[in-house]
Amino acid sequence: MNQLKQFFEPFAILKSRSILLLIVVQVIIALVVWQLTCGALIPTPTKVFQKMMSILGSSEFYDDFIASVSLIAQGMFISIAIALVLAYLSLIPFFRPLVEFVVKCRYLTLTGLIFLFTLLSSDGHALKIYLLIFGIVPFFLTSLLSVIDGISRQEIELCKTLRMNNWQTLLEVVIRGRLDQAFDVMRQNFAIAWMMITAVEAQSMSEGGLGTQLIKYNKYIDLSGVFAVLIIIFIVGVLCDFLLGKMRIWLFPYAKLQSIR
Amino acid sequence: MSNFTRQEVLLQAENISLRFDKLILRDINFQIHNIVREGHNQGQVVSLIGRSGIGKTQLFKILSGLLQPTTGKILLGEDLHPVKSGEVGIVHQNYILFNHRTIEANLKIGLDHCGKEMTDKEKESVIKEYAGHFDLLDHLKKYPMQLSGGQRQRVSIIQQVLTGNKFILLDEPFSGLDALMIDRVKDLLLKISTLHEHNTLIIVSHDIETTLSISDTAWIMAAQEGKEGATITEEVDLMKLGFAWNPNVKKEAAFRDLIESVKSKL
Repeated sequence: MNQLKQFFEPFAILKSRSILLLIVVQVIIALVVWQLTCGALIPTPTKVFQKMMSILGSSEFYDDFIASVSLIAQGMFISIAIALVLAYLSLIPFFRPLVEFVVKCRYLTLTGLIFLFTLLSSDGHALKIYLLIFGIVPFFLTSLLSVIDGISRQEIELCKTLRMNNWQTLLEVVIRGRLDQAFDVMRQNFAIAWMMITAVEAQSMSEGGLGTQLIKYNKYIDLSGVFAVLIIIFIVGVLCDFLLGKMRIWLFPYAKLQSIR
Repeated sequence: MSNFTRQEVLLQAENISLRFDKLILRDINFQIHNIVREGHNQGQVVSLIGRSGIGKTQLFKILSGLLQPTTGKILLGEDLHPVKSGEVGIVHQNYILFNHRTIEANLKIGLDHCGKEMTDKEKESVIKEYAGHFDLLDHLKKYPMQLSGGQRQRVSIIQQVLTGNKFILLDEPFSGLDALMIDRVKDLLLKISTLHEHNTLIIVSHDIETTLSISDTAWIMAAQEGKEGATITEEVDLMKLGFAWNPNVKKEAAFRDLIESVKSKL
């Protein structure tokens, strides 16, 4: 009874077994609701599961999976590098307008710019990378700037009293001191990139990818296939998020000490 | 009490005023002298006492060179040169440390900027010596978030000492501590002040009793009727009064009278 009460209490610290129990129960409830409420058009979880198994068993899937993962890794790597450089440059007044402009690019729709990027890119792969970068960087940068804005004045003052110059202060407080948070921003924004992958892959289908599979199943109104690919995309995304979270703690052990969850 | 003399000026505040949208500080003048005490390696412990919000922290930033006053200047050292940031250490009320560095690395950063060429081995040895002296040896591999408030405060102070700063400003060092911890912090500050004859601790606090009990000089900061901005209204020379360096001073009736008198002037 006491444990049940804890499930609904703010800031309650649960044992990992209890958290696992919560997840399992909620997944079961979701599956039961899905099974009972889907009509004739929407496939049942059983059908979706069967389709998922058949997709996972095909060799085509692994080619598409590798294509998507390598595309996202490449896009993320370049986007992180650009966003980090811009975030650090934001502290130099000369670059502030440029950084502000990139942040505001969140409000620019990709659709209208696809033609421009097509003209700029040499092939389909480059087009997809451009689109990913354009889609991810403004969001990365916004999150990174909020991390920098959260730095206390006192921490900067500490550097000054320790006789550091402005560049050393930037290195110590903003770069080294916030590397764990920058990594977390990357982890959080990975979801945006992963979500974009299907839209981006639709622009050039020659290289394949999970997005291409999704479009193919949509075209033939194979909803079991659509749901199965969606679930695979979802599971891979969650798994990557989990791994990145673990990697953050491994790389930056102090990060765990600052978390209230 | 042993004989003492006030010798050369170590720090001088000259006609300091500070205005933002209104006048915060005005006409602040004081000097901190090197105190020489027979048979002791005696540093200086001075305090700025005033009510919360009076402008103590702003004066504190001016003293450390982090904030430029509207008028006046802070002169430092035997040559009385204008203060530059980095010459005066600060220990903030919430003991700011680099949370991404271990305690050892936090202390090492002080030595990295002390202006002396030292090998990593020499630095390690100095850190261990100080850590042993201030009961931190078992915590060197920990991160600041794993330490108690008192331990973080000690690390903050030692970090400034290792940087080579002879002047250390302490913002409310007794705030939020229980009676036992206050005594330990008092001992720590006295220990720091006697490490070197020129070590000067400037304590900014509204805890009058504790602060006066370890100070040799105190300045009362207050607003004066009809005048805008706070200023130093009185200097209390605790050495002349016979209260300085007396571990049992809190028990003396005359000291308690002094506290009441100071309180009435805030």
